Amino acid sequence: MTSRILIAEDEPFILESLTFLLGREGYKLVAVQKGGEVNAAIERERPDLVILDAMLPGKDGFAILGDLRAAAFGKTVPVLVLTAKGQDADRKRMIALGANAFVTKPFANRDLLAQIARLIGAGAKGSREADHGT
Amino acid sequence: MSRILIGQRIRERRRALGMAQRELAERLSISTAYLSLIENDKRLIAGALLKQAAEALDVDLEFLSASRDARLADELAELTSALDLVDLAGEASTDLASRHPQWARTLIRLNRDRQEARDAALALSDRLNRDPALVTLSHRTLTEITAIRSAAEILAQYPGLEPAERQRFVDIIAKASDRLTASARAMLDMLEGPDATTPAATPAREVEDFIIDHGNFFATIEEAAPRIVDTLPGHGLGLSAVLAARLEDRHGVTVGRGEAGASCGDAIVLPAGAPEATIRFTLARELAARELADAIEQIAATASFSSDQARVRARDALARYSAGTVLMPYERFLEAAESGRYDLAHLQARFNASFEQVAHRLVTLRRPGAAGVPFAFVRADPAGNISKRFSLPGLRMPQFGGACPLWALYGAFATDRLVAQRAAMPDGRHLLFMARQVRKGTSSSARPEARYAIMLACEAHHGGRIVHADALGPGHAAPVGWECRACTRAGCDQRAFPALGLDRPGRATAPSAPPYRRGALDVAAQM
Repeated sequence: MTSRILIAEDEPFILESLTFLLGREGYKLVAVQKGGEVNAAIERERPDLVILDAMLPGKDGFAILGDLRAAAFGKTVPVLVLTAKGQDADRKRMIALGANAFVTKPFANRDLLAQIARLIGAGAKGSREADHGT
Repeated sequence: MSRILIGQRIRERRRALGMAQRELAERLSISTAYLSLIENDKRLIAGALLKQAAEALDVDLEFLSASRDARLADELAELTSALDLVDLAGEASTDLASRHPQWARTLIRLNRDRQEARDAALALSDRLNRDPALVTLSHRTLTEITAIRSAAEILAQYPGLEPAERQRFVDIIAKASDRLTASARAMLDMLEGPDATTPAATPAREVEDFIIDHGNFFATIEEAAPRIVDTLPGHGLGLSAVLAARLEDRHGVTVGRGEAGASCGDAIVLPAGAPEATIRFTLARELAARELADAIEQIAATASFSSDQARVRARDALARYSAGTVLMPYERFLEAAESGRYDLAHLQARFNASFEQVAHRLVTLRRPGAAGVPFAFVRADPAGNISKRFSLPGLRMPQFGGACPLWALYGAFATDRLVAQRAAMPDGRHLLFMARQVRKGTSSSARPEARYAIMLACEAHHGGRIVHADALGPGHAAPVGWECRACTRAGCDQRAFPALGLDRPGRATAPSAPPYRRGALDVAAQM
């Protein structure tokens, strides 16, 4: 089954490149550009992976992630955070909030794709095991 | 203070010239045995004999004399204290200053650069961390770079793109590049704006060193000053009008009043509401810069500055010095100072000058054979930033920010009166401090006046010549220090930082003690 990725990114040029890249890789995409709409979209779309820009207008990545992990629908979906900040403190905070991986801007497309493939592979493996256990 | 090895220097220089001890002794009209004692630093050499020796050895007097070494040694002592190099303090510093003054100067310069670079880095880091506008701009810059990189990689990695797709990504690169340029410019504007941290004040320090190297005294200017002073038609209350008239008549410079307070080319704009002392000084400076230009150039030409900025600053400093010589001519000022027992208010009134102008002039009374009390000078703002200083050997004013908070310098901010203090330093010496707060500019809610405290300092044994010291006998000494990090005084309630060298692992306070607990650290460290 085609994996579905929700991209929360407000910068249109980056969004355009990501849409192209992930489309070429065969992923199905949903894009959200406003921070306040991200969690509702995740709840509605139930993606296999969320790519979350840390600095979205309206509601920042920390708040989105905190709310997501607190909601029943958002506890397990892998979240890859795109951050322009390389500071350890921000990363630690994101990890504490439940981020699964980071990619620091400006990123190499290849690295981003590798991280996405890894997270979706792990997520798929995780759900298979969960299915097996029931 | 540690002994300076003049004898050793004489011997080294003599040997370098290939001169026999006997030959030098003959030229100095002393016995070889006596010269030998001098060269072994077992007899002091000074005065005429030292001068003769300098001539015989074809070196400047300063090369042999102790004053430069003493100042270098003092600055090295400050450096060793700031860097916690306890093993290099004392004799080792004196020795280096004496034997390798160039190396000593280089070390001091390097340490200053290091300190300034660190301060600038801290200020910038603070600014970057706290300024939300800069954070936003940094984020925007990285975002544009991300868009460019991602699109460029797509163009490179997917050669089979449709022409329309290819054009789309080329457009992204072009547009994101434009936006990146705008972000970068905005960031630069911000960093270069009037609020930005200015680059290290190296030219200022360089000029400060240049002035101190001349002993705060410029004979060439003092000798040239009468060219102006003696040809002004009558001094006194009308002096500013006289100066303005001369500027206009002889130099075609117009003097007016306005908001700007800046002079430009042939027009001097005096700030509206400026006090008479400021007006006189401004006019005297402009006049001196024109009429004593040859003397100023002659002095400036002897120094090698590392930048044009430093050269310009030095000329400006010399023009200010010249203004002092015009408004407070050397002999008259010295006579007034000595006969009035250095009563600062009296000198201000007599010469219609500001406190800062009088204090500044007192520091320059260093003419050999006709010197006043040797004063050091320091100026600080209410945050403790030191913006001007003149040190003397053995009386170094701190160059790296805050001095001892117990100094009269800081107490002066609490009052508009002169604060005099007899300071007992940790090494047992007593100093006299005289400080006063001064205000600059006219106060308004939109632009508050600037406040500074200015302090003169001298050895306490000059106290008999100074009226402000009359009530400050040895029994009235206040225990103070230099700056906290260099101060070993125990039990000080005002300590801001632990003394360097006393807070190393294994010698620290009890675990429960806060890091800078007053006095406790010193006591614990010295036990």
